[in-house]
Amino acid sequence: MSRGDYIASSGPGRLFRGQTAVDFYGKRRIGLIVAIVVIVVTLLSLFTRGLNLGLDFEGGDAWDVPASEDFTTDDAADVLEENGVSTTGARIQRRSGETTDVVTIQIEEVSRDVALDLTNGFAERAGVDPEEISFSFTSSTWGSEITDKAVRALVIFLIIVSIFISIRFEYRMAVAALAAMVHDVIVVVGVYSVLGFEVTPATVIAFLTILGYSLYDTIVVFDRVQENEGKYAGVRMPYEDIVNISMNQVLMRSINTSISSILPVISLLLIGSGLLGAVTLREFALALLIGMISGIYSSIFVATPLLAALKANVGRKARRERLTGDNLRAAVIGSGVTGRVAAAPTDVEGDNDDDRDGDDTSVTIVEPAGKLLTHPPRPRKKKRR
Amino acid sequence: MKRRLWISLIGTIIAVVGALAFNLATDNKPILGLDLQGGLSVILAPEEGASEADLLVIRDLVRSSLERSGVAEPDVRVQGSNIVVDLPGVKDKEEALRSVSVSGIVELRPVVNLSDCSAPITDPEITDDVEPNGFRRSTPEPESDDVVPPVPALFANDAEFLPTLDGSAVCAGPAQASGEVFKRDSASVALGQFGGFSVNVELRSDGEAAWNSLAAQCFNQLPTCPSTGTDANGASRPGQIAIVLDGVVQSAPVVNTPVFDGNVSITGSFSQEEAEQLADVLNRGAFPVQVTPQETRTVSASAGGDSLKAAIISGLIGLALVLVFLVFYYRQLALVIIGGLAIWGMTVYSAASFVSGATNYALSLAGITGIIVAIGVTVDSYVVFFERMKDEIRNGRTLRNAAPRSFNSTWRTIWSADLVSVIGAVILFSLSVGSVRGFALYLGITTICDLFVCFFFTRPAVLLLARSKFMVGKRAFGLEVAAS
Repeated sequence: MSRGDYIASSGPGRLFRGQTAVDFYGKRRIGLIVAIVVIVVTLLSLFTRGLNLGLDFEGGDAWDVPASEDFTTDDAADVLEENGVSTTGARIQRRSGETTDVVTIQIEEVSRDVALDLTNGFAERAGVDPEEISFSFTSSTWGSEITDKAVRALVIFLIIVSIFISIRFEYRMAVAALAAMVHDVIVVVGVYSVLGFEVTPATVIAFLTILGYSLYDTIVVFDRVQENEGKYAGVRMPYEDIVNISMNQVLMRSINTSISSILPVISLLLIGSGLLGAVTLREFALALLIGMISGIYSSIFVATPLLAALKANVGRKARRERLTGDNLRAAVIGSGVTGRVAAAPTDVEGDNDDDRDGDDTSVTIVEPAGKLLTHPPRPRKKKRR
Repeated sequence: MKRRLWISLIGTIIAVVGALAFNLATDNKPILGLDLQGGLSVILAPEEGASEADLLVIRDLVRSSLERSGVAEPDVRVQGSNIVVDLPGVKDKEEALRSVSVSGIVELRPVVNLSDCSAPITDPEITDDVEPNGFRRSTPEPESDDVVPPVPALFANDAEFLPTLDGSAVCAGPAQASGEVFKRDSASVALGQFGGFSVNVELRSDGEAAWNSLAAQCFNQLPTCPSTGTDANGASRPGQIAIVLDGVVQSAPVVNTPVFDGNVSITGSFSQEEAEQLADVLNRGAFPVQVTPQETRTVSASAGGDSLKAAIISGLIGLALVLVFLVFYYRQLALVIIGGLAIWGMTVYSAASFVSGATNYALSLAGITGIIVAIGVTVDSYVVFFERMKDEIRNGRTLRNAAPRSFNSTWRTIWSADLVSVIGAVILFSLSVGSVRGFALYLGITTICDLFVCFFFTRPAVLLLARSKFMVGKRAFGLEVAAS
């Protein structure tokens, strides 16, 4: 029980014990096709539907008035008309949660005096103190200005991060990591465009978080790839194998981290905005949730296959088919240790490719992993404590 | 080795708990942002070509304007080419908004004959007199109340009707100088020699000539600044200078001397409040450029409180779910994660208190979201570490042997990945405006705290645990840890 030299019989068991042998590289086309579909859908949607930009990007005035039986969206429209403000361009909606219930009124820019009159008008109609009303004004040029600033910050960020990854790892990894990141942003923008969610500054911040998270996740995976690259430096291991081995090794970590990252966000979405009705939280949480799921997916199915493709024609030529099935499994288990692998873990010609499902019921013993250590663990002397 | 681990572990715990206790004892809390406790935030943009120095001047003027209106320690700062005013928790939002929305610069215009403004109208009333060095030379005229305020209209030779504060109007000629002739922030209210209040303001050495040229025109009753009435003795009275802000005449004192020597005193029949308002205007007049509000946001205190409550409750529930999952998965080792997250949380709290106290950056909803996301990234440090240990043990290493090796490779992964987050935070912080900045700040803080806790707490804790007998025979990695 204490040694890892038997293979769990069930899928989850193998996953738990880090004994999976999924041929990620062989399935790279699925990832590619999904990515292309997502990008095409997003672009189509962007051109036909566009993004539902919030007040902060278009400029105007907005109020959040506590709603009640006495104050409805019709009342809000009345107040607007009483003050000589056209209701045609106005957006009035009711947003409710468990404890809060507000009417949001958005109109085009009006003068400050009119805005003050409207605030007092809404307060009077709703029967609340004017202090209870949240008001915001944004000039029409402001939205483009913050967007410009954010884009500039982003470009500089990408350049510096590319340089960093190129130095710390290599430039192909920088390309693959950035591609995965772009993929994630496109997914989120696509979801927002297709479903018509409103894009607010909160959403922009969530986008930025996603960029960071996606890069973070990709780098953790790449770090393992790079480590294995060094480990197999002596045995002319094809790059696809290294990628496959690394991915299987970090699979459990990716799943655990995903669960740990997504649980708080789901809680934010369901409890924070759903149950407690904090509307602003919903804007954050939704973009975050979509982005995180996409970020985890893209590290495995976009970044790493792309990296393998970029590296395919570099340096050593593969002299054989890549490992699959139990050979891959043996390599996954065998190289999960620090130190360098001295010899290829399995025979070059694997003969039971792609049939690991057939082995599920029987316990297959592959090479004892202990042999793969460059130096076997020393038996501990009794007195040495 | 073992001793150093203990020192690191206990030292970290003492330092972090001590910092937390200090913050709690001194009631040093993170400042909550506008969207969490309600308040007012305004972003002002100057017109094109404002220099850095101009921005600083405007910042100081807005700040003192707010202080005069009763807001203690207003948070006004220059961000890029904008002025950002954050007033979380401010009580009287309308008053504060008024103090902030200073859009215009002050103009000094001579008061001209009504005929220049063509429309016939009753005598413009005189409110105040102006004289050098506080010598009072004429009695103020009683206020007239039968004037209809006309809409400001522009006529030939740039004369136009401008409304005054009390609802009447004067006909003002073209602007000859701006509020920049006054020394910055030098206007003050004093008790006049003969009772009543006077407003004293100093002239800038380079503004004196402009002011004196205008004053001389008025005193000598030249056509550009004619006499507009008679004094108590029936003699024709010197001309008036209208002090105009945003097209509203704030005061139109009679000029009682042609030459001012660095110091102007305006006396008249104003109450203390009116005098202070005028002093305010004169101080504002030192605005070097025109600014316009770009974004104004007020959040009611109850809406802010709801957001805060929802964020904290859902954050804690999310954290609890994560911990349940980790305890289920890592069993005994999850103790380290729980301890590490507690230390991390305390460090973040202390760092947030310190940073927001030192720099006035409030913890906004964006910041809280950043922290909630950081939970995932922080937990990832442990997951990477433990998964690596699992691999090593399964390959035949003992726990004691596996722990330090795993940490070394984990540390390499963690700092590379975290460094990217820190780079992102620094760039976003230095290049963006508004709420994105607050988010970047807290992203940076949490990431650095993660690295700190990982090295100074998690490493010694796990290495010591791996050496102890505590783990022996316990199920921790899907396999029992053998007695070594």
